[in-house]
Amino acid sequence: MKFKKKRLWGDTPTMKTAYDAVIIGGGLHGLATAYFLSRHHGMQNIAVIEKRYIGFGGAGRNTAIVRANQRTQENLPLYQEALDLWPVLTRELNFNLMFYNCGNLNLAHSEAAIKAMRMNVSAAQFSGVDIRLVDRKECKELIPALDISDKPRYPICGGMFHPAGGILRHDAVVWGLAKGAAKNGVHIFQGTEATGIDVENGRVAAVDTSRGKIRTPRVLNSAGGYSADISYRLLGIKLPISVLTIQAMVTQPLKPLLHHVISSGAYHVYANQTLKGEIATGAHMDPWPNYTTQTTGHYIKHQAEALTEFLPCLKGVKFMRHWAGLADMTPDMAPIMDGNAPVDGYYMDCGWGYFGFKSCAVTGKYMAEFMATGECPDILKPFTLKRFEEHRLMGETAALVQYSADN
Amino acid sequence: MNRIDPLETFRIQPSQKISIQYGRKSYEGVAGDTIAGLLYGNGIRVFSRSLKYHRPRGLYSLDGECSNTMMRVDGMPNVRTENTPARNGMKVTAQNVAGKTADTDPMAFMDKLGFAMPAGFYYRTLHKPAKMWPVAIKKIRKAAGLGVMDPDFRIEGYFDEIYPTADVCVVGGGPAGMTAALAAAAPGLRVILMENRPWLGGVFDYRPAAYEGDLPLYQRAAHLARKIEETPNIRVFTHTAVVGNYNDNLVTAFQRGNETDPFDERYIEIRARSIVVATGCIERPLLFENNDRPGVMQVGCAHRLARTWGLLPGRQAVFSIGDDLGLEAAADLSDLGLEIACVADTRMDGQDETLIDALSRRNIPVYRGWIAYKAHGAKQVKKVTIGPLAGVQRQDIECDLLVASAGLTPLTGLLSTRQVELLFDRHTGFFLPAGLPDGIHTAGRMLGFQDSVKIEISGQLAGMEAAADCGFNAPGEIDSIKVRINAFPGPALGSKIVSAPVKGKKTFICFDEDTTLKNIDQAMADGFDVPELIKRYTSAGTGPGQGGIPGHNLPLYVAQTQQSPDQAPRSTTVRAPLIPTLMATYAGTQHDMCKRTALHDSQVASGGKMERVGVWTRARRFAEDTKALAEIKNVRHNVGMLDASTLGKFRIHGPDALKALQRVYVSDMDKIVDGRVKYSAMCNEDGCIIDDGVVLKQGENDYYFTTSTGRAGQTVEWIRYHTRYDHWDFNIVNLTDACGVINLAGPNARKVLEKVTTADVSNEAFPFVGWRDLTLADCIPARTMRLGFVGELSYEFHVPASYTQTLWNILEAAGKELGIQNFGLEAQNGLRLEKGHLIIGSESEQRTTLHDVGLGFLWDRKPDANTVGAVALTQTEHQKDRLKLVGIKMADASAAAPKDGSAIVDTKFQGYICTARFSEALNEPIGMALVKDALAEPGTELNIYEDSCNGQLLKAIVAKMPFYDSDGSRMKM
Amino acid sequence: MSFTLTCPICGPRNAYEFGYGGEDKGPRPDEKDLSPGDWCDYVHMNRCIAGESKEWWIHRSGCGIWFTTSRDTTCNLEVRGKAEEKDANPPLEKE
Repeated sequence: MKFKKKRLWGDTPTMKTAYDAVIIGGGLHGLATAYFLSRHHGMQNIAVIEKRYIGFGGAGRNTAIVRANQRTQENLPLYQEALDLWPVLTRELNFNLMFYNCGNLNLAHSEAAIKAMRMNVSAAQFSGVDIRLVDRKECKELIPALDISDKPRYPICGGMFHPAGGILRHDAVVWGLAKGAAKNGVHIFQGTEATGIDVENGRVAAVDTSRGKIRTPRVLNSAGGYSADISYRLLGIKLPISVLTIQAMVTQPLKPLLHHVISSGAYHVYANQTLKGEIATGAHMDPWPNYTTQTTGHYIKHQAEALTEFLPCLKGVKFMRHWAGLADMTPDMAPIMDGNAPVDGYYMDCGWGYFGFKSCAVTGKYMAEFMATGECPDILKPFTLKRFEEHRLMGETAALVQYSADN
Repeated sequence: MNRIDPLETFRIQPSQKISIQYGRKSYEGVAGDTIAGLLYGNGIRVFSRSLKYHRPRGLYSLDGECSNTMMRVDGMPNVRTENTPARNGMKVTAQNVAGKTADTDPMAFMDKLGFAMPAGFYYRTLHKPAKMWPVAIKKIRKAAGLGVMDPDFRIEGYFDEIYPTADVCVVGGGPAGMTAALAAAAPGLRVILMENRPWLGGVFDYRPAAYEGDLPLYQRAAHLARKIEETPNIRVFTHTAVVGNYNDNLVTAFQRGNETDPFDERYIEIRARSIVVATGCIERPLLFENNDRPGVMQVGCAHRLARTWGLLPGRQAVFSIGDDLGLEAAADLSDLGLEIACVADTRMDGQDETLIDALSRRNIPVYRGWIAYKAHGAKQVKKVTIGPLAGVQRQDIECDLLVASAGLTPLTGLLSTRQVELLFDRHTGFFLPAGLPDGIHTAGRMLGFQDSVKIEISGQLAGMEAAADCGFNAPGEIDSIKVRINAFPGPALGSKIVSAPVKGKKTFICFDEDTTLKNIDQAMADGFDVPELIKRYTSAGTGPGQGGIPGHNLPLYVAQTQQSPDQAPRSTTVRAPLIPTLMATYAGTQHDMCKRTALHDSQVASGGKMERVGVWTRARRFAEDTKALAEIKNVRHNVGMLDASTLGKFRIHGPDALKALQRVYVSDMDKIVDGRVKYSAMCNEDGCIIDDGVVLKQGENDYYFTTSTGRAGQTVEWIRYHTRYDHWDFNIVNLTDACGVINLAGPNARKVLEKVTTADVSNEAFPFVGWRDLTLADCIPARTMRLGFVGELSYEFHVPASYTQTLWNILEAAGKELGIQNFGLEAQNGLRLEKGHLIIGSESEQRTTLHDVGLGFLWDRKPDANTVGAVALTQTEHQKDRLKLVGIKMADASAAAPKDGSAIVDTKFQGYICTARFSEALNEPIGMALVKDALAEPGTELNIYEDSCNGQLLKAIVAKMPFYDSDGSRMKM
Repeated sequence: MSFTLTCPICGPRNAYEFGYGGEDKGPRPDEKDLSPGDWCDYVHMNRCIAGESKEWWIHRSGCGIWFTTSRDTTCNLEVRGKAEEKDANPPLEKE
């Protein structure tokens, strides 16, 4: 049998010796930036280089939850715009990203948690995000499988419900953005590794790849879990990042049981039912840096115990697949989006930790603006790398992070 | 159905009848039957309906390779009935079907719509117009999923867990696994042997073929199993699914209990010095049109149904196979009474000629190079079209059973989960390990070995190599075994045929996801060339069968179809758990750890409303009133007692103890005055406050200090971390659990104390912030501190945990005539708020510095101390645009207190309320808030945005703290 | 319950008994005339090496000792031999 290959993201292009921009990492952030550069800024002479295949990393390993219930005013507008972008992108790309706007319910298991949620909710409502506090009875109405009795060790006191959130099909976003970028002329090179970045007179001059040198005035490091390694190895720039493994798992498929994304900070779990009926769940991270994408027996066990505390019927459901991805964690759980410092033409979009999926489209939009104009858009300014030496952490998490020695 | 006459290979007790309910009817079987086997014996052929097309699905495999026989059993969805033992009284229903059985399904018309749902169907459609998508979602969700879970379902049973260690862990209780275990156990090592089926024996277990001479394989298996049983240092776990293999040889598994076991399932986690993987092979499905019809089954399935359970799988059969096991099964099944029309073998040659002879003696024609093209029949195979792979000749044969198998595929999941690279072997057609990590060995059929003796010897070799990992090296013996293995012929040439040359519209490469060969072709046409991506795009192999059906065929088919001779087939990723595992089993027994103070029982007896606070259980309040106003009043005007035992308590001593304290505390601990405590704080390297507490000097180079409850667990670690390069000489002891703490507070506190001590506790003799070691009631040594967290005259008694309850009782008795009462965390919270005392984590965040909370005065710039956080405190001392902690009052004093967490806004978010309460003492609401420094001046008006306020802002005013007793005279009285 | 680490006192133990304490960046730098950038480099910045990394660990659910060990971050395994000879190695210099 012979096939006329009509790749969704175009035929494999021939690599040119120079591009206007080189994007390292064929994940969601890299593809989204390429897409917006080509669509909004008329920059079509762009190469995306990906060591494995597009969507190999975090893009294909997350649980595809989107929401805009962030904690700080710097993050809120970004994530809210991100939510608004999904229907727009679905139309623009003519590719069904399968945005399932089911809403997210976060459980509170103590008065202190309600207080913390109220802070999120008031800040978010003030920014116009659709979100509200709910009592335990309403939690049960939203998720009938919840145990709202006093039996769980952290009984449910209430929660916050964010109807605007939901889930997407992560692979669809990868393929859709690749399709859109390629249609606009972006070259996507899979199986191509960045091996060096040439700097001349404090400016980016070229990127060395496993397929040869590409001259370019702009390079974006959007390599996800590998961004800090690349930054240090290729440019000697250290980042305040710890690369941790985050694990997720799915159960066998079931008929609809969970109608919303559900999460619990006290139990360190979230769960949602995919359109295929599998219950996807995760949250925990191994608190030591590594690049293995190994899962551990410890976490699948923990996950089962934690999840079934407040969703006891799930004890009768089987896990069938467990995987891991890399999360580039910063000390304040907020990303680093910066550029032209300390090297002109070098842009970074990293440190997303496990927020990289929900933010990919909107970040691509603004990083594209940054790279096209050389001017950092206001919305990205708080995410500068400088904040760490100024001791101005972002406060995306109220509590101390546990993966750093400094807590 | 009548069982065939008893055979030595039976694993059933024909005399012991059991019955289960399926749909509305009751079906009878015998002890030892699986659920699916029992139903099959009663003539049930359709067990489920497929995911997308609602095609009838039947018994195809016996080890859970696909979801065909997944049913709902006693309320539990997705039970693999083909390897779940039937128990008397079980209630079984079919899944993904409108009725209770799978025989009829109103959704069966979906099968006709397959053409409209090519690979990538969902991505390309349903989003136009946008309005249609939410409607489509509802339909998709309803159609998706298999089993139904009742939200009120509660599992019954006992789910245990064990954590054995072993020198050698052998996975697979077949011939290679058994010989490996015996070889590893020979030098006396502790060996664990695990087998997925309820009995040992593997591929030998049911086969009458000769092992050596006249000895049938099943007798040989029984012999090995007996030897295993007689070896005391081999621990056997049967009916145990090995589901994970992690770094440094950590193996996870679960065992299903039988009716006499004290557990229903148990989680097993083994750390082994060496592992032998002898997991054998499963069958690689053969693809043709309607290859999923009930009545099509794998060779092993048909053979074992008869040999193990006494169920003849059909009346009239056609075989389409690609491996000698198929020929062997045909001959044996024919002897057991199955009529076999013919055997189509995809191989042109290479068959074991004795098997060909055996079939010809039974007048069963064997067609070499032939294959099944199509199965006919709606709910059950009625006819099969066979023909040569190359050529146009076709022959239709009526039958009710089509035994079909393309060949074998090794079970390498335990290697994949260790991220071992698997490479395609062109001879066997298997994916075999490119190399193994230290401490892992493989043996048996999974390496492509077919000869029974060779399989056993390979196990023996692996067992000896594993023993060598544990220090029992026998190089000579290992070498001689290698020589013996090499004397056998190498692995047989494996068939790589995946499918009959058909169009593939109803040729299912993955049953679970209803993925056809046509879908795979479509994915490739869309440009997906890597099997892993094709898997994601078409869902093939992502169903409950975990890739058991398409795992091998998909990469073979993709490589063959893409016709790139240089490109070897690339396998897709296999992930743990290799066999779906119940959450109840993973969850196991209760692991929650929670501490109680020495006063727990009396706090509960006094009506304490207990709640979890970190690792502790504490009383929030003692009355229904959530604001605990009565408790607050009693402390302000009388005297109350609080169980403060959760406070972190430490002793640090040694020549360098002071240096260590100087490193972590912002204050200068050299300035501690004898007999007085020093209040101070710890920061992290960003100058952010992480803890506060008091320090006192109890002797030369000997200090006692307290931390907040939340930091108690980390403090020793923290101090040792920040002195790790210094090699200082000090010792630090965590006394948190060893000591209880009672806080006696209120203007009448001294009256109570005076009753239980003869010491002079007057304000002059024992002033505020002083500490004394007192003996209370002539018997209890109590380190007593005068502190003022709640803002009244207050004593904190630190006593050995075992004395705490006694002291509590003594104080309670002493205070009885005054009306002493308990107070809890809520009252403490209100009281300290009136004093403007902060609780870290409540009035601070991760990013809040010592300066931000107004405690900058605690910081002594100690030269050369290298205090943690000091650099950042210097750098942020005059920094602007930060959130600062302020007191607030409401503009309208009669208004209610704003809710904790409410935002403070102008045109932007400017901060939030940390804690706000109605103040009993001030008779108005007060609170503390973190606000931007521009709004932090007392008198500044703040707008409070409470959640769901609909834009109705509350007005508050920044107020000076403390709100109550600003000169502290009440603490110092 | 994945890999094991070798505690200098207790020997090889399950990794979940330990707590990670950061890359080994050497002793605290002299605080005099330290620029904010230098300080940040010491406190927050990591090399994030995909490969062998020398780092601090504490035997948290055990004897409580802080120790350094070398671990390959691409496979989560201790680099053999390094655990024993670590005391002989001076801390890595600050770049």
